[in-house]
Amino acid sequence: MNDGPLIVQSDKTLLLEIDHERAADCRRAIAPFAELERSPEHVHTYRLTPLGLWNARAAGHDAEQVIDTLLTFSRYAVPHALLVDVAETMARYGRLRLEKHPTHGLVLASSDRPVLEEVLRAKKIAGMLGSRIDDDTVVVHGSERGNLKQALLKLGWPAEDFAGYVDGEAHPIDLLEDGWTLRDYQRHAAESFWHGGSGVVVLPCGAGKTLVGAAAMAQARATTLILVTNTVSARQWKDELVRRTSLTEDEIGEYSGTVKEIRPVTIATYQVLTTRRKGTYPHLELLDARDWGLIVYDEVHLLPAPIFRMTADLQARRRIGLTATLVREDGREGDVFSLIGPKRYDAPWKDIEAQGWIAPADCVEVRVTLPTSERLTYATAEPEERYRLASCTHEKVRVVRDLVALHADSPTLVIGQYLEQLDELAAALDAPVITGETPVKERQRLFDAFRTGEIGLLVVSKVANFSIDLPSAEVAIQVSGSFGSRQEEAQRLGRLLRPGPPSPTGERKVARFYTVVSRDTVDADFAQNRQRFLAEQGYAYRIVDAEDLGV
Amino acid sequence: MAEELRFRSLADQLRNWSDEQLSALLAHRPDLATTTPHDFGQLASRSAARASLARALDGLTTFELSVLDALVVAGQTTPAELTTLIDAEPSAVAEALARVEALALAWRSTDGLRAVGGLSDALGGGPGTSGLWPRTADAPSGDVLRTRLAELSEPARRMLEHLLESRSEATTSGSRVVVAVDDARTPAEELLARRLLVPRGGNGTLVVPGEVGLALRGGHTTDRAVDVEPSVATSPRTTALIDRTAAGAAFEAMRRVEMLLERWGTAPPAVLRNGGLGVRDLRAAAAWMQVDDAQAALLVEVAVAAGLVGQRADNEGDLAWVPSDAFDAWLDQPTSQRWARLATTWLTMPRSPARVGGRDEAGKVRNCLSAEIGEPQAPATRRATLEAIAELPAGETLAAGTGLASLVAHLTWRRPRRPRSWGRFTEEACREAAALGMLGLGGAPAYLRELLDHETASALDPLLPEPVDHVLIQADLTAVAPGPLESTLARSLHLVADIESQGGATVYRFTRDSVRRALDVGWTAVELHDFLGSVSRTPVPQPLTYLVDDTVRTFGSIRVGHAEAFLRADDENALTELLHHPQAAGLGLRRLAPTVLISSTSLDVLLPRLRELGAAPVVEGPDGAVQVTRPDVLRARTPRSGSGQRRSDAASSRSSAARETARIAAAVTSLRAGDRAAGAVGAAGPPSEVLSPSGALAALREAIDTGTTVVIGYLDNQGMTSDRVVDPRSVDGGSLVAFDHRADDVRGFAVHRIRTVRPLAPSG
Repeated sequence: MNDGPLIVQSDKTLLLEIDHERAADCRRAIAPFAELERSPEHVHTYRLTPLGLWNARAAGHDAEQVIDTLLTFSRYAVPHALLVDVAETMARYGRLRLEKHPTHGLVLASSDRPVLEEVLRAKKIAGMLGSRIDDDTVVVHGSERGNLKQALLKLGWPAEDFAGYVDGEAHPIDLLEDGWTLRDYQRHAAESFWHGGSGVVVLPCGAGKTLVGAAAMAQARATTLILVTNTVSARQWKDELVRRTSLTEDEIGEYSGTVKEIRPVTIATYQVLTTRRKGTYPHLELLDARDWGLIVYDEVHLLPAPIFRMTADLQARRRIGLTATLVREDGREGDVFSLIGPKRYDAPWKDIEAQGWIAPADCVEVRVTLPTSERLTYATAEPEERYRLASCTHEKVRVVRDLVALHADSPTLVIGQYLEQLDELAAALDAPVITGETPVKERQRLFDAFRTGEIGLLVVSKVANFSIDLPSAEVAIQVSGSFGSRQEEAQRLGRLLRPGPPSPTGERKVARFYTVVSRDTVDADFAQNRQRFLAEQGYAYRIVDAEDLGV
Repeated sequence: MAEELRFRSLADQLRNWSDEQLSALLAHRPDLATTTPHDFGQLASRSAARASLARALDGLTTFELSVLDALVVAGQTTPAELTTLIDAEPSAVAEALARVEALALAWRSTDGLRAVGGLSDALGGGPGTSGLWPRTADAPSGDVLRTRLAELSEPARRMLEHLLESRSEATTSGSRVVVAVDDARTPAEELLARRLLVPRGGNGTLVVPGEVGLALRGGHTTDRAVDVEPSVATSPRTTALIDRTAAGAAFEAMRRVEMLLERWGTAPPAVLRNGGLGVRDLRAAAAWMQVDDAQAALLVEVAVAAGLVGQRADNEGDLAWVPSDAFDAWLDQPTSQRWARLATTWLTMPRSPARVGGRDEAGKVRNCLSAEIGEPQAPATRRATLEAIAELPAGETLAAGTGLASLVAHLTWRRPRRPRSWGRFTEEACREAAALGMLGLGGAPAYLRELLDHETASALDPLLPEPVDHVLIQADLTAVAPGPLESTLARSLHLVADIESQGGATVYRFTRDSVRRALDVGWTAVELHDFLGSVSRTPVPQPLTYLVDDTVRTFGSIRVGHAEAFLRADDENALTELLHHPQAAGLGLRRLAPTVLISSTSLDVLLPRLRELGAAPVVEGPDGAVQVTRPDVLRARTPRSGSGQRRSDAASSRSSAARETARIAAAVTSLRAGDRAAGAVGAAGPPSEVLSPSGALAALREAIDTGTTVVIGYLDNQGMTSDRVVDPRSVDGGSLVAFDHRADDVRGFAVHRIRTVRPLAPSG
């Protein structure tokens, strides 16, 4: 028997025992083709998926290597069916190629005629293809490059794209590394992306994804369109680019609900691009406004469906996606793969934490007991009302007040879902509140004040979930959320993970993440689901009764 | 020594054989001994019957068939001459000849070595034959033939060569049959004139005589060597890898069968009216075992054939597939024995699981376990396939792509007369053997030989994962067992946690429900904590401890009575909650006291409804104690092995082999006795005069073999017996074809009307 660290299960999960002496080697060897699914303290779970295997093919690994790796590190015999499946799946990638033909332009070529025939017979694809040049080559309508790739992936014959990219309009962009340098993993990520042409970089919240974007821009040295989730995030991108690169304020435009500037580097929000008027998207022209050389998608796991459709038309341009997690609640990972590109870089959270680039976190769940009257109301309530009732209990206000008092010296965020609850908390804690209704200017002012330390406590709604850079925050208390969204949990924790400057005593910041839930209600059930994501990322958490908080 | 002996007839030769030789013959051609023959005459007659010959030929290799074919072409000959006729190593020819003689397919007549009568027809241009006709009796010498061939014009020679490739047969179609050499106008006439093509029968058929074919092929019956066995295309792998892969598959197959039957114990699928398993049930089984439908069908078929599953009527009286009590016994066996049982079952079960899911002629889907899946050829194919792979040198595996095709070619050479479908069966056998762990990467693991010979697999044990006695518990409420768990531990853990992923390792997840399930069957909080602490190699994470405590906290706070269906709890609010619950209206709850409710609903409905509503009630017995229940696990009786297809262990197969030997020995003894009796009768009455139909057959075959003229007493349509003088040519399908001297023509005679057969008295 082989004494390897890896156990290959027949359901295509790989269990990696991390205390094993060869665990690190094994992790490096399987990372290119297996998706890390869970990384709790003792045994990490990876999964083999077609996408992961095709990612590996795209990165130049072949089935023989994958099988050899599995056999080398596996403790027990590897299920035969799984090996066959790996070989078959990987063999499907690249049978079809998108190429540039000197006279016919974009063509779909194949070395395997039956596959081409099968694909040509698919109804969905017929409209995207032109005439047949010879037995193995068929013309592709230039505008359908993205759609075709998407459709081929659905058919299970992902095409390898050799058609190349347009350079776009050149524009000088350089990183200004004065007093700071790109971290190794950031440089590595940017290089992996550039080498691959297009693709997605996966890094934890707080690990500096913006800089990866900036580094990619400096590589491209061309006009760039940056798509972000909201206006505040757009401003942060702008500030960061001005600070870290040779770009000046005048070279960076913002294209949002309020301002519509088109500059060599333009930052647009998803929202404005997907605004519909009379069934059309009036702001789509932005995509054609310049000859963009690079398109950056921030928070790619949130890309809305219309943006996918638009992206399908942008296949000739380089695309980089940035995200903390490729988990999409809508299961459209395949679209990300085919339209933006395969995963080019990935690093486990705990690894980056170990390098000191993100702060370690202490996660605690605090359980409160509903008072008798509320329990009765809860028991008789309609199911759709229950979560709101349970999560908005007045009991939580008391607990939050205790927690805030406990961490009086640390900058603290109180995060919630329901406005009345937030208002109630703001009143009880005497703290400013930021919700979707707060004007952008006011938001910006409050965030700035929080950053500088002028305000030590903020009550925020889900507007702060994404892309708001609050490096000083040390404590977050969440009182309610969007039901069981694991992604939201990750994003909220991400707010705390930016490592602040070390304290005078040289101690590193430890983020404290509290979740206040009502015992024996759906609130607790959802909390459990949300925590799973963190536990799976290796963040152990404790559960404490409100009475035992010891305040 | 045998070469010097000459016999008047095949029966004579058999009579002279030793008991060992006879036993070997009867063992290899068992059809000869079914209903023990009376005497050697009958035995010889039977062995030349068409059906029996066909069966005997089915067991020969292409080379052995070529030897027989050469014998037919040669007619009467000597072993030495035969050797020169065959394009093969003389020693190989001698070996093959010995084998066909031992099978009574060839014998030594007074005039030389010859094939038994009817063999030419039985070979019938099938595999292994050269396409040559027998030599003519007055064949010209080789020199003469060579001269004649040299004289031929180019078209005539080409025609001759073409004829040789296509069964050496032609029709006259206008050519004159009797032509002088100088008069020949067409290529065909050229050949006819030189007797390189001769008429045969009266219907215008022309054939190339055997000696011409031999001359054209340089004295051999074939133009290429016939003793070359096609080799199997292989590629080398390390034996360790083969063993590990195969053992992995073996372990998986066993685990899956166990997993499925455990489930069928509580949720048995119905038996269809055709005796099968429904498509939906099969699909559910496949999903449960995490395999595709084809593999699920294989595992289900094997489990049932191994007797691990039986039928049992469920509560409604419908039949269902349920694990048998043999399954429990099987579970307690050592791992390698368990696997050997499945593997041996597969080797001997006359069923073809690959057919499941296909459609029959009427377009109906073939169900798993139904009679339509039966395939009598399956066991023989499987064994032949595995034997062939087991014969490969260690570390050699079937080459990717070409390996399977070459294996089929190899098997076809060994048994060329098998039906064409064998190719497909071989492929299926390889696939199924890989799924069951009898092959790894297309090669034979170390334990395969042992399995084929002794039906055990002790060499498998060291290859299987060692059972582990601990798990790793993690903060995300999962526990990972890094190997197969000891069975008691596995059962306990299965109770307190749900299984999330299975394989070499098992991943368990703790949930509120799973912990409650443990509490339901009587575990206490202390026991749970102790259990977790003792099985976990790492400290138990705080969230799990909390989960257990939290579940215990709510568990049993509400108690439900049986007799009055009461609900009582110390917590008034809990009851008030329940009473006011919008979905509790149908339960007919009424408050009796601040801490007691009663219900008009019977307990078996009430209990699950309460759990649905989020309560965690326990049932209180009449004496006030908490009752614990666990679901009943169903078992059926071990099915009796019906068609003798299941020889579940080595012992029974050994005993059946012993029985077989005894039966053959008895047959040989009775044959000798019968022969002596027949000899005694023969001495008293007229020689060779026989009255029984089988005796007539033997006598006729002897006459065919020796080419003698006989007088038969024939019962004609009017019921009159008349004597006919005939030269028997062939006996087949109950009729004798013979040259009737009186009619001066070839006539057919019904064998059952032939009353007597006796040799023609020497005239003059």
